[in-house]
Amino acid sequence: MSKGEFAVIGTGEVPCGNYPDRTEFEIAYSVSRMAIQDAGIDKSQIGAVLGAAHIMGGEYNTEVVFGRLPEAIGLRNCQVTGQTVSGGASSHSIRRTAEGILRAGEAEYVLIVHSQRFSQFSMNEQAQYFAVAGSDLEFEVPYGMTYNALAAMVTQGYMTQTGTTVEQVASVVVACNRWARLQENAMFRDKELTLERVLGGRMVAYPLTAYMCNVLADGGSAYVMTTAENARKVCDKPVYILGEGSDYSHRSIIKSKARNLSDMGKYLAPVAQKAYDEAGLGPSDMDIYEVYGSYPGVNLIVMDALGICEPGRSGALVEAGETSPGGKYPCSTNGESLGMGHTGTGCGFAIFVEGVRQLQGKAGRAQVPNARFLIENCGGGAFMDCHFTIMGNEIP
Amino acid sequence: MNIDEIKELLGLTDEDMKKPLPKPTKWSQPYWDAAKKHKLVFKKCTKCGHIDHPPYLYCTECHVDDHEWIESSGKGVLNAYAVNHFGVPFPFWPDLPYVTAMVDVEEGPRMITNIVECDPEELKNGMELEVVFQERTSEFTLPQFRPVKK
Repeated sequence: MSKGEFAVIGTGEVPCGNYPDRTEFEIAYSVSRMAIQDAGIDKSQIGAVLGAAHIMGGEYNTEVVFGRLPEAIGLRNCQVTGQTVSGGASSHSIRRTAEGILRAGEAEYVLIVHSQRFSQFSMNEQAQYFAVAGSDLEFEVPYGMTYNALAAMVTQGYMTQTGTTVEQVASVVVACNRWARLQENAMFRDKELTLERVLGGRMVAYPLTAYMCNVLADGGSAYVMTTAENARKVCDKPVYILGEGSDYSHRSIIKSKARNLSDMGKYLAPVAQKAYDEAGLGPSDMDIYEVYGSYPGVNLIVMDALGICEPGRSGALVEAGETSPGGKYPCSTNGESLGMGHTGTGCGFAIFVEGVRQLQGKAGRAQVPNARFLIENCGGGAFMDCHFTIMGNEIP
Repeated sequence: MNIDEIKELLGLTDEDMKKPLPKPTKWSQPYWDAAKKHKLVFKKCTKCGHIDHPPYLYCTECHVDDHEWIESSGKGVLNAYAVNHFGVPFPFWPDLPYVTAMVDVEEGPRMITNIVECDPEELKNGMELEVVFQERTSEFTLPQFRPVKK
C-alpha cells in the first residue's frame, strides 16, 4: 500500500447490547444500508462485499459464503464476495483484502460488513466457547483455562513486572466508561462506573473483577472503502489509510515473542513505529489513539507501544485522566469493548468505524475537536497478533 | 449453593459436568503416555536441539522429523498466575477458587498448568515449583505444579 492510496467514505453501526430479537441478518442489512447512505454513493456502484465471520458460527457464516449479502442488500453490480476470519484481527485482514480487490481494479467500491448476535446462545454455550476460543484445547483447556484467566494472568504478570497498580488497571475501565457514556451505540452508555465500583466488583479471575472483563454483546457495523481518487470525487471528507504495521507473535501465550510480559509493549513498539514511519508521522502528531485490547491490562500493553510514554508507565497516564475525554491522549473513544460491548470479531470494526467518524467530524458528543490523525489497532486470538493503522482526513 | 443445587437449577447433566480431556495428536501422544507414568517430557529435535512445547509434527526450528522425548527434572518457576473465582465452565465450579498459571520449566519450555497444594494468597512470581501429577481419568494424567516446601 502506498500512503493514502485508499480511503473510507461512509460508515454504519447499530447499538451494541443484548438484543435477542434483532437477528444477525437484520444487523448486517441495516448497517450496510446506513454505510451506503452515509457514503453518498448509489448501491449499484458497490463491486465487492466482504463479510466478517460471525463468532460461534451458525447460519450467518454459511449464508455469507453462499452470497446472501449482495442479494439481500440489492447490489446489482456486485462482482466479488468473500469472508475473512482472523478473530479479533478480522477487521484488519478484511480491510487488507478490500485493498487488494481495489488495487486489482476488480471493484470501484467495497462494502465491508460485520454482524454478531451472541444472545442466541445460552450462557453455558458462550462460557464453553470462550474457554476454548482463547486457549489450546489439548494443553490448556483441561486445566480450566478461560479467556478471563488468560487476561488475568497477563495482567498479573504485567503488574508485577512493571509496578503497575490494580487501581491503574481499573482506571482503564473508568476511562473507557467515560467515553462509552458519550456514545449512543455503546452497551454501557447509561451506566456510570467509578474506580470504587470497578475495584469492588465481583472477583472473576484475580486480579480482574467483573468490570475488568469485557461483556459479550450483539452488534455490528459496516463501511465503504474505495480508492483515494474515487473518494475525493464523491466524499467531502474521506478518511485515508496512511500507514500500517503488523506482527504475529503466537497461538498460545506461552510462546509469546515477548518472553517477559512487561516487555510486550516494547515488542510492539517497532510494529507501531512501522505504521508511523509509513505515514511520515509520529506519536505527537496523533489526535486520537484508538486502542483495542479487550481487557484493561492489554489496553495498557498496547498503549505502552504507542510512543506516548515509557513502556510500563501507561497506567499512570490513564490514572491521571489523560486518556479520558478532554485528556491529552484520547484513547478508545468508543469506550472499547469494555464500554461498547464485545461483539466477537466486531471490536476491531467498531473502533475502526469510530475512528472514521472522528476524522469525518461525525462522532457526536464523543467528538475530539479538530481531529486530523489517529492510530488504531486490533488483534486476535490469545493476543496472538497486533495491527496498527494510521488514518487521517488529509494526506500529510 | 452446592454443585448439586446448581446442576438442578440449570438442568445440567452429568455429561455437562465432565471436565474436558486432551485429544492427543499423533505427535503429542507420547507426552500423555509419559504423563500417565508420572513423567513430564518434552519433544526435542535430535538435529538442532530445539524443544517444542506444545509438540508439533516436525521441529518448528529446522523442519526435521528426528526427535527424542527428554524427561524434565520437574522443577519450575512461577512466571504469572490467575486465581479463578467465577465464570468458568461448569465442570470446574467444584474446584473454585483454583489457580491457572504460566510456569517456566527448568529445561526451557513455558507451560500453562495449575498450581495446587497452595494458598493462592502466598503465591509469588519467581517462586520455585515442582511437578505433581493429577490422575484425571484412567486414561489421562495432568502434570500440575506445587510450591517447593522449604
